[in-house]
Amino acid sequence: MSSHPVCREIEPDLLVVASGEAAPAAAERVEGHVAGCGACREELRHYRAIEGLVGALRRAPLPGDDAALARAELESRLADLRRRLVSFGIFSSPLGPILIARSELGVSLVRYLAGRGSVAAEVRRLLGEEAIEDRAATGALYAELVEYLEGRRTRLDWPLDLRGARSDFQRRVLDATAQLPYGAVASYAGIARRIGAPTAARPVAQALRWNPLPIVIPCHRVIGGSGALVGYAGKRVALKQRLLAIEGVRTLPERDDFRVPREAMYALHVGESEYCLPICGSLASRPLSELVLFGSRERAEAAGLAPCTTCRPDLHPLSA
Amino acid sequence: MEDDPFEAVVGAYHAEIRRYLLRITARMSDADDLSQETFLRAFRAHRSLPPGANVRAWLFTIATNLCRNYFRAQKRRRRAYAAAALDRSETDAAWPEAEAVAREARARVEGVVAGLPIKQRLAFIMRKLHDLDYPTIGGSLNCSEESARAHVFQALRKIRRGLDGLIPAKTESQL
Repeated sequence: MSSHPVCREIEPDLLVVASGEAAPAAAERVEGHVAGCGACREELRHYRAIEGLVGALRRAPLPGDDAALARAELESRLADLRRRLVSFGIFSSPLGPILIARSELGVSLVRYLAGRGSVAAEVRRLLGEEAIEDRAATGALYAELVEYLEGRRTRLDWPLDLRGARSDFQRRVLDATAQLPYGAVASYAGIARRIGAPTAARPVAQALRWNPLPIVIPCHRVIGGSGALVGYAGKRVALKQRLLAIEGVRTLPERDDFRVPREAMYALHVGESEYCLPICGSLASRPLSELVLFGSRERAEAAGLAPCTTCRPDLHPLSA
Repeated sequence: MEDDPFEAVVGAYHAEIRRYLLRITARMSDADDLSQETFLRAFRAHRSLPPGANVRAWLFTIATNLCRNYFRAQKRRRRAYAAAALDRSETDAAWPEAEAVAREARARVEGVVAGLPIKQRLAFIMRKLHDLDYPTIGGSLNCSEESARAHVFQALRKIRRGLDGLIPAKTESQL
């Protein structure tokens, strides 16, 4: 290339023209210049030759250019990541700020947030570093939850991901609890009986204390043998009372707690298919662990039960 | 819980991104690792991508960032050059004898590219071998569109000097 100032000035345009990226004005400028300047004409020819070589390089086979193995390994790592990956949303529910998280398999965590300290730190502690905030993925779940809390929906038919369960025992407790119908209550000992561990009332209570999916797995429907609500989400027994009230289960305040009055509830003797008045036969003397209580006939019948043909709760309903 | 559109992203771009990384690192194992890492990162982030975003450009940006970390943190640059030289000699053997001059010229281009400073090399490969536009290249390299173009042109100038004497003088018949 000539060191003439005009040539130095036109040099970038040579590159632009050779690359085929030139605007008409630059192309014209270059054309005009190289017509009279042999050195720059030669330079342009070189750059065009380089473009040709680069084109050949692009088409030339690239050693090792077989992505099949890498692709297979990527697919397997993606599948693994999908299994571990959790998306979550935080919503201001009628019960206070609430976190909903879901994985590829289903909903994995519902959590009342304390509202103290950093939410981000709390989320990291609960879900790990891989969690992604994705309100779009959890928004529909929240909408259903609100319908439920407003009494406009009686079921949350969500696919659940219970891989985070602490033990096989807890998983069995959660499964049994999930089967309690809307508007019904059973005792901790009753759940223990259902999973074939009749003496394990206290471990059942402990397992439900760590329920990863409150509301969805209705641990609020599980109460003490005396009818006392006992506990919920730490010390938030009022929340349990509120959830039961939504389902039509009445409670009476009692010291620092609430009590479900079994004398004012319809009862199912577990194993039967009919619901009774609380005084039917020997029901009044049975332990609560053998019963499921319903706040109303509608709820008992919605659970598929028929009125008892002896005590006839359909003819002699409890006064509301 | 539902079909994941990311499957289609992998299908459409994995081979190309790996080819890009292979050109940059000249090592199959590194191209495998970095391409996997590119897509794993993309998978974690793709939900926050605005609708209609240029996914291909975005993947190149992720891959380019990984490359820069790779060279910065692990200081493998020298090893990669050595490997590039090796791969070239293997490739040379596969090319027909008749192409001798063009082959030599192509090898010389590859040699110059392998020796370029990293930003120029990335910009050159993105532009000339993968047809990305300058805004995308600038975005990948954290620089302006103009700087991206300057990197590519600087690379071309060096290739031009590296080819001195290899491009035959023009004969009158080519005029």
